[in-house]
Amino acid sequence: MLDMRNVSKIYRTTTVETHALRDFSLDVREGEFVAVTGPSGSGKTTFLTIAGLLEELTHGEYVLDGVDVHGLDDNQRSRLRNEKIGFIFQAFNLIPDLNVLDNVEVPLHYRRGIGAAERRRRATQALERVGLSARVRHYPAELSGGQQQRVAIARALAGSPRLLLADEPTGNLDTAMARGVMDLIEELHREGATVVMVTHDPDLAARAERNVHIVDGMASGIIEEPSMRPAVRAQGEGAFRIPGAED
Amino acid sequence: MTTLRPILSALRRHKIAALLIVLEIALAFAIVSNALYIVVGRLQRIDLPSGIDEPGLVLLQLATAGAGRGTVASAQADLAALRAIPGVESATAINSLPLSHSQWGLIYALHPMRTFSGGVQAPVYFGGPDLLKTLGVRMLQGMSFPPSAYRDLTPQNAFKIFVAARQALITQAYAKRLWPHANAVGKIMYMGETPVQVIGVVSNIIKPYISANAHDPGNYYAVFSPFRAAPDLNAWYALRCRPAVCPRVLKAAAGKLQAMHPTETLNAQESFMHMRQRYFRNDRAMAWLLAGTVLALLAVTAVGIVGLASFWVQQRTRQIGVRRALGARRVDILRYFQTENFLLATAGIALGCAAAIGINVWLMAHYAVPRLPILYLPIGAVALWTLGQFAVLGPALRAARVPPTVAMRAA
Repeated sequence: MLDMRNVSKIYRTTTVETHALRDFSLDVREGEFVAVTGPSGSGKTTFLTIAGLLEELTHGEYVLDGVDVHGLDDNQRSRLRNEKIGFIFQAFNLIPDLNVLDNVEVPLHYRRGIGAAERRRRATQALERVGLSARVRHYPAELSGGQQQRVAIARALAGSPRLLLADEPTGNLDTAMARGVMDLIEELHREGATVVMVTHDPDLAARAERNVHIVDGMASGIIEEPSMRPAVRAQGEGAFRIPGAED
Repeated sequence: MTTLRPILSALRRHKIAALLIVLEIALAFAIVSNALYIVVGRLQRIDLPSGIDEPGLVLLQLATAGAGRGTVASAQADLAALRAIPGVESATAINSLPLSHSQWGLIYALHPMRTFSGGVQAPVYFGGPDLLKTLGVRMLQGMSFPPSAYRDLTPQNAFKIFVAARQALITQAYAKRLWPHANAVGKIMYMGETPVQVIGVVSNIIKPYISANAHDPGNYYAVFSPFRAAPDLNAWYALRCRPAVCPRVLKAAAGKLQAMHPTETLNAQESFMHMRQRYFRNDRAMAWLLAGTVLALLAVTAVGIVGLASFWVQQRTRQIGVRRALGARRVDILRYFQTENFLLATAGIALGCAAAIGINVWLMAHYAVPRLPILYLPIGAVALWTLGQFAVLGPALRAARVPPTVAMRAA
């Protein structure tokens, strides 16, 4: 699903060269739940921006769901991002001017061949899935942090992505809300979604099937969490899908 | 693909800013469409053909003072001297000139009338047998006046004789106005109760005064009467010459008249082209003024659009990054802002249409401006839409360059 080999990311200015990732390799199989951990400044976010096709890597190879992303132009990366990846951000990143339903529809606007009715159907189902179907006309400012993150998760799910990328998904939530959001992510994983979550919180990381620790831009070790594996295998391989969605 | 609903939804959340820009566009549309119409009208007036052969015509006017001066007899002597100047092809006296602001006018009707209501007003030109040739006006139908028909008009007999002419030549436009479906030659028209026979139809010649509407056929209504004119009735001398020698002819003619009338002065000595330029000086000034106003207004509107769009791009940088992260291409972001601007411009134009018509009605009532042709509304709309798209392009391109990594930054 996500195969990175010897990936490096170097940020250059006229005077400084910063190695944010060095020879980083990671292979995430379909249906896995992987937590990427590490201290602040270790390269977690850089990993996520490269995994999410938000930035280009400097060296190495990256194959996402069978597509070698090296050399893709901006349009191709945007399209691939839209079709394959669902983002869950720490700051939710909902659009304040749009109501909940419109927010969830946003990625579908950039998908070819999806009409207004289909967009509406998928968004409605995604909101039902996260338990917010009664809030479709609300605006983000009218929701709690936990509800906003659930809307963001619905938005990530609406496009039936192959991979969910979560960046500190509970970082802006209190304990109770964080627990609810993590329960939802685990539930999605049990249903077959491939999840890669970046976090600095060891308790959250412990809920993943596998942990990858980054220090100074390099993977320092891979810790397996066997307790999660049977559940994943029991569900079989396959990404999260909105029922009836054909991609 | 850009769909309208999210854009409209976002605009509803920023009502005041959206309304301000809509009002600015509406005001610009209303003023620009009316101003454009007035400018075009003025330019059309400036370009109106006079109906005379302009480049080879020079004019002089002698100021007379005192009884017995500037008579028809004296004018004939002057004309004989002027014709003798090398380069002069023909010369005539004429009571008034096209585009001179000064005219002799009468009202003619198809039936005898006791009052002057119901007739059609036309300027009357007269001067002598060489008048048509000197002006370059062509006979189209019928015949010109025989030499014996001409009478001398003096300050003493002017009123009595002028209104009693029995024959006339009329312009094609005037003939068509009086007899739209018939040949005017031989027909009778009436000046009050006096019958006047039309003996010929000539090519159109523009009036001394023209209306604000360049398309008004009345600008070419004119009647020619068989009188000889003289300086004591403020007549002009008109000389026909080859354009290349006209400046020299004008100078020589002025010198000759001064020599023949050392105690009198020349009111005017100029080419017809110069007189024409003088006549339309205000139109030209008005056209420039309004064109400048239109440009300034469009510039202010463009600045307003750029300002608001830039503000919104800055305000929405994070959400643009989020859209990019969720799969929007650069062109999708560009289209979003262009579509948003198109919607604002369309609302402004719709509101501006009503305002444009309102302003036009007011101008019609107070300044005799003709009705705004409906064509100017789509022209104005296209101008404002185009302006909006160009104005928003810079901010929209800046928005399209926002990288998707912005979505990853801490809020």
